[in-house]
Amino acid sequence: MQGSDKMEAKIESNKKTSFKTIKKKANGWEFLKVLLFVFIAAIVILPMLITLFASFKTLPQIGSESALKPPTTLNLENYKDVIKSSHVFVGLKNSAILVVVSVVINSLLSTMVAYCLTRFNFKLKKVYLAVFLIGMIIPGTVTEISRFGLMVNLHVYDTLLAPILIYAGADLMQIYIYNQFLSQIPISVDESAMMDGASYFTIYWKIIFPMVLPATATLGILKAVDVLNDMYIPFLYMPGANHKTLSTMLFNCIQDPRTSSVPKLSAAAVLVMIPTLAIYFIFQKFIFSDITAGAVKE
Amino acid sequence: MFKNSKLKAQKNLVLVTFLIIPTILISLFVIYPLIKLIFLSFTDWDGLNTYNYVGLKNFKKIIFDSPEVWSAFKNNGIYFLFHLLFIPIELFLAFLLDNRVRGCKIFKTITFLPYMINGVAVSCMFIFLYSSQGGVLNSMLQYFHLNKVRWLSDPSIVNYSLTAVSLWRFSGVHIILFLAAFQSLPKDMTEAAVIDGANSFQQFQKIVLPNIKPVVEIVLFLNVRGALQVFDIPYVMTGGGPNHASETFAVQTINTAFQYNNFGMASAMAVVLMIIIIVISIIQQKLFNARER
Repeated sequence: MQGSDKMEAKIESNKKTSFKTIKKKANGWEFLKVLLFVFIAAIVILPMLITLFASFKTLPQIGSESALKPPTTLNLENYKDVIKSSHVFVGLKNSAILVVVSVVINSLLSTMVAYCLTRFNFKLKKVYLAVFLIGMIIPGTVTEISRFGLMVNLHVYDTLLAPILIYAGADLMQIYIYNQFLSQIPISVDESAMMDGASYFTIYWKIIFPMVLPATATLGILKAVDVLNDMYIPFLYMPGANHKTLSTMLFNCIQDPRTSSVPKLSAAAVLVMIPTLAIYFIFQKFIFSDITAGAVKE
Repeated sequence: MFKNSKLKAQKNLVLVTFLIIPTILISLFVIYPLIKLIFLSFTDWDGLNTYNYVGLKNFKKIIFDSPEVWSAFKNNGIYFLFHLLFIPIELFLAFLLDNRVRGCKIFKTITFLPYMINGVAVSCMFIFLYSSQGGVLNSMLQYFHLNKVRWLSDPSIVNYSLTAVSLWRFSGVHIILFLAAFQSLPKDMTEAAVIDGANSFQQFQKIVLPNIKPVVEIVLFLNVRGALQVFDIPYVMTGGGPNHASETFAVQTINTAFQYNNFGMASAMAVVLMIIIIVISIIQQKLFNARER
């Protein structure tokens, strides 16, 4: 009896030690992985932190202090100067209009197109799919050369309509992603609704659109951020001072000698970053949990 | 029978009402500009006056008589190559972020953070970091008693400095796309492999990778497209300087059109860019699929 007790104790302790070593090994590996991501996080955060610090400092302080040293006082002079000498609020207003209008129109149009493409067979379907393929290959920046004349002829040059038409109308990438989401909703969902007497319109509006709403949240946020952060299209189509967006306003700050010093530019950059960062931190749950196809449950 | 024809009418009604606006917008803002672009590439249009048909002159000039165009294209090559080299790293990081590292939630948030920041603001941040007077990177180098580097004003370095900004800003997008693909894999798939004793590496190679192939293909394509039309980072940070050293194809095309009013030439450059994107994408896809087999 005693022997077997000992044996059991030995086995027990063996188990413990082997378990311990495995755990230790796992911990080492675990630690390395965390370290890797801490390193990445530092690379991501440091430039932003340095900019934030610089926005509270004076020009002589920038020259003499380490960039990583937090500001000692909350000096808001730079922010005041930037707000005084550039069109921050105009930019904010225009950017907000562009975002809201583009996101709403785009998500409706894109889901409608995706609905047609995934649910029906029709003569021109192949043409549409081909157009999408071409559209995704076309480099956006350089087609503006020929789009520019069109915008002038449509009399939308230097109005908010010009970017809205571009942002809202032809986002083929979004249509493509919606296509993926919609094709994952089994057709039996439509069929059973049809049995209950629903029309195609009802199926789209009451079933399909709500079902892809999580995807819409994700894509809408990404679209909003794209629109907020785009510099090129507003730069090209809305040069007027009243039509600055946050991006073009900031681009002006770089070129304007009144605001091009490091602390003032930093303050301007921080102001411009705030809206997208706010969207990001408020809505990140949508971006991460629903970006996956898991959002559309089968 | 009656019900069927009614359904058909309804279907046509849906198709027309749902597709009419997108069709108009796509034809106006995608198809028409594309056709016009190709048409203009054979002319000498200056944006104002009537244009003359000049045949292949623009294309001949680009291919045989424009070293600056090709050096700009070489700069795009740097962006392309570095982003391509980062794709395996991004895959690996995404794999870890898929619940294989402690605190993956917060790391996910941080990884995607740069993409959320305004591109011009990113440029502002890095202008300060790279600045030759009191710039952060140079003070760090000085701290280690190393020589200062002219990050943005040395022609042989500037493109790498700008590529680093591009990597900083866009790598997170690839990681999130890969992560989305990982997370959409059914969980039981890897669980079964774990039960069979597959380690992380085997899981990755044999189960995860083959199943996210479509996403890898999309990322590879996005990379070609993105790298070949890099515009705002060089345009905002250096304006293509010093002495055109950091001009990319898109910067040059846009300058040709809107600064020098040479729309015909710029259109031809745009067409060349499109052809290059298509060719490289096809080659890349062929290589990618060949490796699989």
